[in-house]
Amino acid sequence: MSTLTVPRQDQRRTPRRPFRIGRPGTIGRIVILLVAAALTLGPVMWTLSTSLRTPSESFNLPPQFLPLNPDLTSYFQVFEQINMVALVVNSALVTLMIAVGQMGTAALAGYAFARLKFTGKNMMFSIVLATMMVPVQVTIVPVFMLIRGMGLSDTLLALILPAIPTAFGTFLMRQYFLGLPNDFAEAASIDGASPWRTFVSIYAPLAVPGMAIVGILAFNFHWNEFFRPLILTISEQNYTLPLGLVTLQGNLGTGSISVVLAGVILSMLPALVVFIFGQRALREGLTAGASK
Amino acid sequence: MSTPTLKSSTTTASRRTQSARPERDKPKRQQSLAERLIVPLFLAPTVIGMAIFTIIPILGSILLAFFRWDIISAPEFVGFDNFTSIVNDPTISVSFLNTILFVVVAVTLQLGIALALAVMIQGRMPGWLRVFFRSAFFFPLILSAASVSIFMGYLFNEQFGVVNWMLSLIGIPAVPWLTTPGGAAAVVVLVYVWQNFGFSFLLFIGGLASIPKEVHEASSLDGATGWKQFINVTLPLLSPTVLVASVMAMINALQVFDQPYVLTRGGPGDSTRTAVMVIFESAFQQLEFGRASAIGLVLMALIMAITALQFRLSRKFVFYQ
Amino acid sequence: MASEQPPGSDQHSVAQTFSLKNKSLAKAGDLSRRTLLGALGVGAVGATLGAWPRLTGADIPGRNSSALNVAILGTSADAAARQALVDEFTSLHPDIPVRIQAIQGADWRDFFSKILTMVAAGDPPDVVYVATEGAQLFAEKLAEPLDAYLTQDAADVQDYFDDVHPSLIEAFMYQGSLYQLPLDWNAANMYLNTSALERAGLERPADNWTNQDFTSMMRAMKQSTEGSFTPYYWTNRLFGGVVPWLYANDTSFLTETKATGGNWFWDRFYADDPTKNQRSGGYQWLEPNAEDPRVIETFDYLRELVAEGLGVRPEGGGGNALVGLFASSRIGATPAGGYWVQGLHEAGMGADEFDVQFFPSWRTQRHQFGAAGYAIMRTAKDKDAAWEWVKFCASKPAMELAFPTPNTTPTRRSMVNQQLYSTTGPEHWKTFYDTLDKFPTSGPIPAPPQQAAVETALMKNVSTAVSGSSAQVRSAMGTLQRDLELALRSNA
Repeated sequence: MSTLTVPRQDQRRTPRRPFRIGRPGTIGRIVILLVAAALTLGPVMWTLSTSLRTPSESFNLPPQFLPLNPDLTSYFQVFEQINMVALVVNSALVTLMIAVGQMGTAALAGYAFARLKFTGKNMMFSIVLATMMVPVQVTIVPVFMLIRGMGLSDTLLALILPAIPTAFGTFLMRQYFLGLPNDFAEAASIDGASPWRTFVSIYAPLAVPGMAIVGILAFNFHWNEFFRPLILTISEQNYTLPLGLVTLQGNLGTGSISVVLAGVILSMLPALVVFIFGQRALREGLTAGASK
Repeated sequence: MSTPTLKSSTTTASRRTQSARPERDKPKRQQSLAERLIVPLFLAPTVIGMAIFTIIPILGSILLAFFRWDIISAPEFVGFDNFTSIVNDPTISVSFLNTILFVVVAVTLQLGIALALAVMIQGRMPGWLRVFFRSAFFFPLILSAASVSIFMGYLFNEQFGVVNWMLSLIGIPAVPWLTTPGGAAAVVVLVYVWQNFGFSFLLFIGGLASIPKEVHEASSLDGATGWKQFINVTLPLLSPTVLVASVMAMINALQVFDQPYVLTRGGPGDSTRTAVMVIFESAFQQLEFGRASAIGLVLMALIMAITALQFRLSRKFVFYQ
Repeated sequence: MASEQPPGSDQHSVAQTFSLKNKSLAKAGDLSRRTLLGALGVGAVGATLGAWPRLTGADIPGRNSSALNVAILGTSADAAARQALVDEFTSLHPDIPVRIQAIQGADWRDFFSKILTMVAAGDPPDVVYVATEGAQLFAEKLAEPLDAYLTQDAADVQDYFDDVHPSLIEAFMYQGSLYQLPLDWNAANMYLNTSALERAGLERPADNWTNQDFTSMMRAMKQSTEGSFTPYYWTNRLFGGVVPWLYANDTSFLTETKATGGNWFWDRFYADDPTKNQRSGGYQWLEPNAEDPRVIETFDYLRELVAEGLGVRPEGGGGNALVGLFASSRIGATPAGGYWVQGLHEAGMGADEFDVQFFPSWRTQRHQFGAAGYAIMRTAKDKDAAWEWVKFCASKPAMELAFPTPNTTPTRRSMVNQQLYSTTGPEHWKTFYDTLDKFPTSGPIPAPPQQAAVETALMKNVSTAVSGSSAQVRSAMGTLQRDLELALRSNA
């Protein structure tokens, strides 16, 4: 397995030599990378700097990429025009509930698939994996009907409940538990610990980093989710951030660019926090799927 | 797999369990019974949840695809009409062609850019710069496609957008980005690739890192350098990652919705109307729930076909270490 | 890579990847991790219980109550703005509690699809504020005719009809029955940027100006202005897009006919109106008409405007930054209705910095308008209570509460007065209502029950038609014809 030897990148660069600019190839390479980074970050910088201009200046060319003379008018207007607080509360509730729910259910199921013996295990796991191929758009209409049958139409629970069972998370946790040594289980079984006890006392705590990755992935995905909220929520009071922002663009063209962009920037902040503190976990989680 | 790291925690963990439950000694046979009884407890939340929210809905979709139903009046059985409309209704068939074209172009660009940048970042540079590049390329992944499409829409505005202003600096006249079929399709692709190339990039740096250093050293001794080494040594070793990255990118791209919905609503003409957009429009704007189900099922079949293809390809062509 | 392996075989990669992190975390000890997990579990349960009202929507005021549920397009701020109206109604009808539910949408089509979703979810509102775009969709599938109520309360509503132009009412007749009392409306008039006119050395055009005059004006504006400036800005949608030009050219992309019936209404409420005999049981758009030579001619005219750089290629959707662009004088002219006045005022445009004129004439000078009013749902819990709301909202005191600023045009002629436009302008505010009074043939937005599909078909072909060659107009109209045929056969 190629993955058996995963050296971390920075460890590979041995022997460590001081970096010296000099070789033309190196400079060219870094220039290309810098251009790519500018193209990646530029639009976001423009968004930030435009959101800090007054609405009447937002079309001015040449564009500003650095927020000189910041003006917070647009940010105040966001709070006037849409119920930003409610949007954030809804997004946070939905995202955290899904994240915690996924962490719990995926840890349980992943553990069962990794460490418990039962008949039909492989078949069941294959079915779970196969659901990863089902696009959410295929099931949305029947899910909508089910939600209606449960009396949960136009509620946040309608967004949360269907998102909790996670094939990818289950897969991830199974891999994680498989990676943990067997000795614990043996030791525990000699001690006479029940399987539940073994899971709760030994394996679940060891799997916290894996669960964290499941949680962060869920957060990143559902914080930004658009399609399901678009269909499953109706009342403005139940909107999540991405929906609220799109409607901030205004009825019949009355929205102001800088106000919309201020909303965009505000909605990015929590994701930015995750980016800063959970980047590594997020990276690993995202790429972990490649080893399926 | 036990690593030295985990061993250290092994000892602490086992010591603690020993002290926690010293006296109760149950025979092993009973444990396996308990284990069997406990399995449903572990699996129930996921398996029942999936049965309710994925498997039953799929069966429901399959049933619904044979009816014409507007939710308000009673469903009417129409046989395969909803499926034939995918071929016969030009809006729907075009949306599928668009989706496939989009997948081909967007995935090619996404993989090409990601691979090039991943290879370039392997070269010598200060550590902080490497971290900066990696973070920068990764950053768009944490944004919502809806917000990205909102600000990109302004950037690509024909009259007042920054993109055209920049082009004007090098003497290129204003490009009608969002208002001509070709321009709009290009913007949707660019915005999508801008946001998603970082994902493939991450996969590629992972894949490149897993190629043992010795392989390169050996080939360097044989006289292979630069481009030649990349083609003959790196790329074959990277092929498993390329395959996975392309399949994941394709499955993602097949479901594209947010970008065209926010940027163009599928226009101009049908130029950016994707399969998922037609599902949305059929179901929730035109109340053709049966047709929406049929389109969804065809999309799912496409995704399954691509996944199956991956399994076949990976057996045949991919070079394994 | 493990992708070739059947599920169930041992794979270790993930744990491998994490091994480094394990080291640091393992030092913290299992106990604290167990505490962490426990805390997380307790926290999740606690949060679920604490946020239960939010999770189930039970905290939304008036939800699941027996109150009359009135859905409007807008934000909660828009709903709050109607509180005075609700209070007034409650003081008159203390027995009918009312709840305004704001539904967000980028346009009316979005709003209608949300209402349809509510119907599908089994929780439809009792009363919906529906614009012309959805009038026939609701009449066909969802709304209750007002005929019996009107007959019953004829004396109460006569003053409303005396004050409202019959064209606005006719737009809400469907197969001989009236479904809504329109409260606000907007014609597609031409907004002109005064400074752009001055730079071009032009005056506000005459009432009967032609499309050729319009072209010359756009040329003059273009030549006299430097920098990023587009003389004519228009959006791609049913209202104010290509349709006003089609109407001016005495045609439309759908064949317009009128239903019989409705005499009971016109004879009773518009007995003295000179146009009474032209009024009908409602508009019908049953067949596509996209390949009509005049339709092609109209599209070709717009295509030439675009090709010459006089007009923008129309954007789909709402045309987001339009107010800002016009207010910052980057646009010379654009079609819009009275709803725009307040927006321009708030964007900082002085009363004399813009003005308004009728749409130019062509073969005729028929104008396009859209209107909106409350429709009672067939599923309403208490239709009599719903009618009381509809009737109340059409009364003059209620409309004065509802429309304090010119962010739309009230349907009551007496309310479109100097006072309404005193601080905002434009100078020729009379143009708004004159669009009906001087042009009684002005017609509504063409919106059959299949409005969503029809609008989609139109929008997508408008953009292809106007951004290519003359031959492309023809082929685009062929596609439009075919798309419309399919659209008119769809469910909604």
